[in-house]
Amino acid sequence: MIFLAVLIIPVVLSLIILMVKRARALAIIHSLGYAAILLVSLVLLYRTTVLAEPVVISDLFLLDGLSLFFVLVISLVGFASSMYSIGYISQDVQDGRFSSSKARMYYLLFNFFLLSMYLVVSLNNLGFVWVCIEMTTLVSALLVGFYRTKQSVEAAWKYIIICSVGIILALLGIILFSYAMSLAGGPKSLNWTDLFAMAGKLDKNILKIAFIFILVGYGTKAGLAPMHTWLPDAHSQAVAPISALLSGVLLKTAVYAIIRFGLVVNKGLGSSEYFSHLMVGFGLVSLAVAAGLILVQKDLKRLLAYSSIEHIGVISVGLGIGGPIASLGVLLHVLNHALTKSLMFFGAGNIVKRYDRHNMRMIHGVIQSMPFTGILFLLGTFAITGFPPFSIFMSELLIIIAGFLKGSYVVIGFLLFFLVVVFSAIINHFSPMLFGRAPKDLPKYSEPLSEKLAFLFLLALVVGLSIALPWLVRDGIIAAGEILKGI
Amino acid sequence: MGTIIVLGIIIATYLMVVAKRVTALVRSFAIQSFFLFLYTLVIARREGNVELYIVSGLLFFFKVILIPHFINRIARKIKVNENLGLFLNVQLSLFFALVCTYASWAFSRMVVPAQDPTMAIALTAAFTVILVGMFLMIFRMKALSQTVGLLVMENGVFLVASSIAGGMPFFVELAIFLDILLSVIILNIFVYRINKMFTHVDAAKLNKLKG
Repeated sequence: MIFLAVLIIPVVLSLIILMVKRARALAIIHSLGYAAILLVSLVLLYRTTVLAEPVVISDLFLLDGLSLFFVLVISLVGFASSMYSIGYISQDVQDGRFSSSKARMYYLLFNFFLLSMYLVVSLNNLGFVWVCIEMTTLVSALLVGFYRTKQSVEAAWKYIIICSVGIILALLGIILFSYAMSLAGGPKSLNWTDLFAMAGKLDKNILKIAFIFILVGYGTKAGLAPMHTWLPDAHSQAVAPISALLSGVLLKTAVYAIIRFGLVVNKGLGSSEYFSHLMVGFGLVSLAVAAGLILVQKDLKRLLAYSSIEHIGVISVGLGIGGPIASLGVLLHVLNHALTKSLMFFGAGNIVKRYDRHNMRMIHGVIQSMPFTGILFLLGTFAITGFPPFSIFMSELLIIIAGFLKGSYVVIGFLLFFLVVVFSAIINHFSPMLFGRAPKDLPKYSEPLSEKLAFLFLLALVVGLSIALPWLVRDGIIAAGEILKGI
Repeated sequence: MGTIIVLGIIIATYLMVVAKRVTALVRSFAIQSFFLFLYTLVIARREGNVELYIVSGLLFFFKVILIPHFINRIARKIKVNENLGLFLNVQLSLFFALVCTYASWAFSRMVVPAQDPTMAIALTAAFTVILVGMFLMIFRMKALSQTVGLLVMENGVFLVASSIAGGMPFFVELAIFLDILLSVIILNIFVYRINKMFTHVDAAKLNKLKG
């Protein structure tokens, strides 16, 4: 069970925080810990998908390809975020935004947050998964309200209330699933594996009702419109490395939970039509809402948050289309969006810190005043809007190809339309901000080495994945079709 | 026996809807939780299940004693204006609660097999509680009442679980209790901060962030 390392390292890191007093050493140890986790998760995914080693299934854990893929996504963003934190948090302490003992609190919460997300994607018992998802909300709410300004407290309150209501509805859905189990004479168990095995015998109507509750409940957490209202507030007010984690992976863990139930529903109903209609519907609504609000947005970090809603919409449409090609598209999009959006939030964090404002119309000449961040942010802008040679282009292309092959022309038409709107809106907002003349009174600035490394790490992956894909696409489609079999 | 207790739950729920002050709301919540405790106890006796006895004991300890005490304490500490600030007056609220009950009844008839009226009644009560919890969160704009609304919704879900699915697996139940306790603590931390920064706890006035 080398997987246990993934769970133990955050706990060990938390203990180290209690003992090590020097802030810099602490931050570096923290980052090294996440590098180790990243290594372990790569090995795990390689062994399960490429070497086809048997899947670990027990009452506690379920570590199939799907789980391990999400573990890897969490590890990648977790590592990048921990590296970026080294510079970002120590600057915050220097600027007197919070004390050094609060910085330790930050690292402690960071570890709990990551730990709860790892548990969400690796546990077998759906009741425990629910508890861990609620835990991610509670821990990250403290990180959203970390600066203790009026806005951040307001954002944290809305976040915790809206997501808790959503998640209670999801609990209702889980109970209905277990009711269907007991009607079918199944064991009294909430294990996903048992539920999946029994799926064919479950009452179809109850299954449908239960899935609606799950979709609305976990959809709230995933940021699907119209339940997305907490998302822009929370993402814009959180500490920048945490914004990256919220946007990059927290939303995806909720998507993971929806996928798990979707697999059961598809198997139980005998066709994927019901699931497909719902996912495409919610996906397109999310895309529409995000496109409209990105168009009129003034706040830099809120714009990035709405862009996350857009990408969750794309993922949701991809899940609705289904089939091996769309599956590869969806999985890659989950990964690519996590990487690219982290890059953008890191960039936005630097920009906001330097200019001390969120309003994009009051920020000019980023490339002139901070060339490194500015150029990477520019590249990230093209990546996030789906320009080649960046990897989001590839995953969106796969989803669109799958849609055309399936004959869903109208859906893909809408998808492309919203993507174009978002593209032009983002370029329109960001170009005056990035180019132009920087105000003269800005103090001199250069990014710390750790931040630069985090940026380059993400950029290398975003470009590398896209360049490597044409050689891997055949095996990729087979592997993804296997991982998301039944979607 | 079970049905009488369920009626008690529904009455406590209506009491919440007509409550005008925080203390009254919290007291009705404690009453509702107490009936829920009785309900679980009855099931535990019927099935002779030790785990269910433990669950009902925990329910009594957490939801009837600890959490109401907690909320009352914070309400005293921040010297909140006692009025809940009703968005909807008492008569309309009560009418809304009745509509909720009827809708829940219609829904329960759909889900539960027709030969089992006690289960249908329990399920009706459960969905009423959930809907009223939601109602409290939307139409009573104090931060504390939103906390209570959340707990009420959770009570409703608990009732659904014990009435139709025979309760959740034991350890899941324990984890959920822990979770609720944690969320109440964290919500209270935020109520405290909101009060300190805004000098009020009016969730309706938390409207800086939009667009």
